[in-house]
Amino acid sequence: MELTLPIPNLRAIMPELVMTFWACLVLVVDVLISKERKTWVGYLALVGTLVTMAFTLPLLGTRTSTFSNMFLVDGVALFFKFIFLLATALVILVSLRYLDIEGVNLGEYYAMILFATLGMMIMAAGNELITIYLSLELMVISTYVLCGFIRRDRRSTEAAVKYFLLGIFTSAILLYGMALLYGLTGTTNLTEIGRALQAKNLGANPALLLAMIFLAAGLGFKVAAVPFHMYVPDVYEGSPTPIAAFISVGPKAAGFAVLARLFLVSLPAIRPQWGTLLWVLCVMTMTLGNLVAMKQSNIKRMLAYSSIAHAGYVLIGLVVANEIGLASVVLYMFVYAFMNIGAFSMVILMCKRGDRGERIEDFRGLARSHPWAAIAFLVFFLSLAGIPPTGGFIGKFYLFSAAIQANYVWLAVIGVANSALSVYYYFRVTMLMYMSDPSGEIRLTLSPSLVFALAVMVIGTLAIGLYPSPLIAAARASMAPIFGP
Amino acid sequence: MTPTEIQHALGGFPILTLVTFIPLAGAIVLLFVNSRSTGLIKGFALVVTLIDLAFSLPLYTRFDRTTHLMQFAERHEWIPSLGAQYYLGIDGISVLLILLTTLLGAVSVLCSFKAIEERQKEYYVSLLVLQTGMLGVFIALDFFLFYIFWEVMLVPMYFLIGIWGGPRKLYAAIKFFLYTLAGSVFLLLGILALYFIHGGQTGDYTFDIVKLIYQVKLTTGQQFWIFLAFFVGFAIKVPMFPFHTWLPDAHVEAPTAGSVILAGVLLKMGTYGFVRFNLPLFPQASQSFVPFIALLSIIGIIYGALVAMAQDDIKKLVAYSSVSHLGFVMLGVFALNVQGVSGGMLQMINHGLSTGALFLIVGIIYERRHTRMIADFGGLSKVIPVFTVIFAITMLSSIGLPGLNGFVGEFLILVGVFQRSIMYAAFAVVGIILGAAYMLWLFQRMMFGAVEKAENQNLRDCTAREVIYMLPLLLFMFVIGIYPKPYLSILEPSVANIVRQVQVDRTPQAAAQKSAERDMLQRAVSPSAAQEQAPSRLAGARPAGVAGAGASKAAVPVAGDGATGDAISPSSGAPAVAAAAPSLPAAAGVPQPAPHRQPGR
Amino acid sequence: MDLSFLFFYLFAAVAVGAALVVVLNRNILHCAMALVLMFFAIAALFLMLGAEFIAAVQVLVYAGAIMVLFLFVILLIQIDRVQMLRFAHRQSPLVVIIAVLLLAELLYMIIRGTLGIAPGGADAAAAGAASGSTEAFGALLYTTYLFPFEVASVLLLAAMIGAILLARLDKEEVGGVSRQDMS
Repeated sequence: MELTLPIPNLRAIMPELVMTFWACLVLVVDVLISKERKTWVGYLALVGTLVTMAFTLPLLGTRTSTFSNMFLVDGVALFFKFIFLLATALVILVSLRYLDIEGVNLGEYYAMILFATLGMMIMAAGNELITIYLSLELMVISTYVLCGFIRRDRRSTEAAVKYFLLGIFTSAILLYGMALLYGLTGTTNLTEIGRALQAKNLGANPALLLAMIFLAAGLGFKVAAVPFHMYVPDVYEGSPTPIAAFISVGPKAAGFAVLARLFLVSLPAIRPQWGTLLWVLCVMTMTLGNLVAMKQSNIKRMLAYSSIAHAGYVLIGLVVANEIGLASVVLYMFVYAFMNIGAFSMVILMCKRGDRGERIEDFRGLARSHPWAAIAFLVFFLSLAGIPPTGGFIGKFYLFSAAIQANYVWLAVIGVANSALSVYYYFRVTMLMYMSDPSGEIRLTLSPSLVFALAVMVIGTLAIGLYPSPLIAAARASMAPIFGP
Repeated sequence: MTPTEIQHALGGFPILTLVTFIPLAGAIVLLFVNSRSTGLIKGFALVVTLIDLAFSLPLYTRFDRTTHLMQFAERHEWIPSLGAQYYLGIDGISVLLILLTTLLGAVSVLCSFKAIEERQKEYYVSLLVLQTGMLGVFIALDFFLFYIFWEVMLVPMYFLIGIWGGPRKLYAAIKFFLYTLAGSVFLLLGILALYFIHGGQTGDYTFDIVKLIYQVKLTTGQQFWIFLAFFVGFAIKVPMFPFHTWLPDAHVEAPTAGSVILAGVLLKMGTYGFVRFNLPLFPQASQSFVPFIALLSIIGIIYGALVAMAQDDIKKLVAYSSVSHLGFVMLGVFALNVQGVSGGMLQMINHGLSTGALFLIVGIIYERRHTRMIADFGGLSKVIPVFTVIFAITMLSSIGLPGLNGFVGEFLILVGVFQRSIMYAAFAVVGIILGAAYMLWLFQRMMFGAVEKAENQNLRDCTAREVIYMLPLLLFMFVIGIYPKPYLSILEPSVANIVRQVQVDRTPQAAAQKSAERDMLQRAVSPSAAQEQAPSRLAGARPAGVAGAGASKAAVPVAGDGATGDAISPSSGAPAVAAAAPSLPAAAGVPQPAPHRQPGR
Repeated sequence: MDLSFLFFYLFAAVAVGAALVVVLNRNILHCAMALVLMFFAIAALFLMLGAEFIAAVQVLVYAGAIMVLFLFVILLIQIDRVQMLRFAHRQSPLVVIIAVLLLAELLYMIIRGTLGIAPGGADAAAAGAASGSTEAFGALLYTTYLFPFEVASVLLLAAMIGAILLARLDKEEVGGVSRQDMS
């Protein structure tokens, strides 16, 4: 048999190639660098994300596919890639000092982050079930390792084990759903699955519905939607704080990317059914996340439940699933990267050797001793709560307006009610920071990289809130390939 | 489209931007001042508010009183993909509120010099940011911008109560924030619904308030639901009766300046919202909500007064009196006639002056005695005469003594309400009597009698600073009370326009009819208080002619005047005469008893 | 009736039976052996479908490599010290309900599925038979499915590094562990 190897469009996968190369480079350099200078590896990884971003930029506006239509370059994929790279860069910046404090300054940490990012990038671009599954595994396996990175800490190990066990379980469910789809259509390509399902006119075939439920369950785990959220608080609490920030943004965004592509491209035939399913998930996720967050006394657990609630808000966009709906999803995830990593960074700021600064009480009187830190935290909380003039408001505004426009009025009502509810727990922390007297001296772990990252995130959050026009335009434009002519 | 704004009186000078953002700029500068140089901070904050006040004066002096159109307008692209603009402008409804805000801004800075002793920098920053937020709410003519100001304002107020408040400050602060936020998110949904309905109808997705008010067509059902969404947002802010529970807590716990601003300006945002948005946008819903809102207002008036009477804390008493007074304003506004709405608008200003002054008085006495219990005082008139005079004037203004501002507002409201329903007016009068009772009783208990407490023997009278910041408020109490014409005339065109709007049938079925009405409106002479009867007769004659044409058309098709008749008769599906009826009050701008309007729908 | 049907049911029954033993048996060593049996049965099923390569991989990788590793681990961690977890706990009623629901849906799907749809259609079945051979499989892997193949290689690299990372013990960290153990 003669083999003709396909000639891929290398330009299209250039960002992924660069990322792979850089991850390997980080591994190699790590071996060569002495133990005291491991921070350099971090900066190297940071440069890697920036270089990858630079290679992603020229692709903007193009629309191609390569590798037998398995890998897409389109607006959605590119927008998500920017979200991932941004989140990665920020997480690396806030990790630099943290690893020192926890005494786990190993170069592999950054390599694993880069591998996870690579997985997400391929997930967002994948147009084929096997590719999506493999890249998803690449992402989650890297994050399992990162969660358990502080091995001397039992909570970290426990988080990793818990995440791992539940993760492989839901991956199996996801795989089952994919297998069912393949069985029904005889192809793994998303576009062709969609075509085949339309052509066969299966309607509400039970096998198809089961596949849909399995896919939603598998990906619902990745985006931390209720009822697949059980792992979230424990994993966030136990993981190194920068990693908690990372998995609350990156894998979540990647999960939404796949969910959107899978459902919109492959399953338009059963749009009403998955619309209903996501509606229920969305309402449960928002409400439960917010209600439980109120009771937390550990700030990482609180942020974990808040991140569940935010997954619920984003699901509104997927329920709506039109151009504006999906644009609001990418827009929200972009803003969310800033504000949520920002909020987690504040926890890093409080962290000291032997004390991870996770009790909400630790923030008591912060505004007295560190007014600027308090203002930064206030901005992130305002944004998470969706109060103008912050990016979070623009994101929520766009989500709710998508819901109203598509006549999901009740969804919007539940959404805004939840949004008002969430103010309670965000402002509980604000109250402690501003309105209570400090119980002791507060010492912050300030490092130039962390301060720089915080400044970027605060300015980003505010800038999007005050002048969202370019971002909205970009989000809308990124959806044109799916919904455009 | 008909013009919505008149030429800029200052040749495009961005005065509204300056007025709005000077306090914010001041706050940002203040952030970088060393927090230990408190003298500099106080002085700077005062200067900023005074500059702001100075900049707001031309808005009054150069205001064109002949038109209801927007003035001093500034319009820039902001978020074109959403259709949100940076669009500022004022009309008769907002101009006085803006002046009140800038005035109270300076007063609240001045009254805090002694009262606030810790974290002064943050305090004045919060005050200044708050002022920008409040001014923005009154000035914004774009819903998106409006909503941003509306919410932004909550944050500094939350800090004012929560940091510098009384013993239960945390509870009061979070309650204030959650209540108002819960209301405003529903407001947001209402805005979005309006935005999409209008966009769907015209293809022009815009948050432009003026465009929306004039162009959007809403079915009765849509009006009902969006009215309700707006109602929740504004009623909590006012606060109307069942939503008022946050107010006493917030007032009692807030520092003096916070209370002054809360009572003087923040509460007005709710009533302003009703006048600016609910009435013109949802005329049919406004009409059908009248009994409901009147009921809540009357309950608020009487309940507020009775509870005020039972208080033994002065500040709580004043807080509950606010509930009662704002009930009056709401009742006036929902009389839906020129007198009622103008009275409501004027009473908003009056309440800002008199209740603001009352809170200042409470602050002055609290600074000296560190108590607010009525029982701790008595016979003060002998000890502190200047204070007594100030208090007396303010108290009389609050209960509506003729010659002072409160009387004018209450009188107009009563006239308006009387035309709507005698029963409502009767209840309102009961409220006035109760109001006089608790205020006079308060004054008597505090000021007259023997000085029983030793601590009260040597109270210091008002200082120069205190007199200075009380003086402008007292001055305006007299000015408005004795010669209210300038203030009423500035309100008149805008109020008349809104009252006209609220008579317009906004349902899509009536679209054609509405455009015909608008033609007539343009021809109608802008009515003012003095001219009111004349144009009403004039306009009354005109629709009669239209009705005649319609009627004749119903019998025999007439080609000549068919255009208007065509537009009217098929739209309502009722006999042509009845269909023409709603256009009559609409054109005249004169209140009509409700039964006349109902068959038109 | 075709003879292959008989074999299909035979192997399927063996696979299901062995899987049940894996879940239900309390002796972990027996479980492991039952798992091996299940892998063989499934390999036989693959063989019957003409997927010789997958069948071989199934035996080599799963029954061979992975199970041997499993057994090593079981032996190393001293089986008598491992507490066998009981399945029954608080949430069990809910678990049972969900499992039964899922099973019901699966059965329903299988019954309806055979009636309603022919999986993939004739050409897909033919393609399946052709691609089952090692040669066809290899060709596909290096042409159409080149990209997932590459991704899989990166995935393996990452997993390997991760495993090493978690298993490696530094001197410094040994100290850390013991400190914590003492406290």
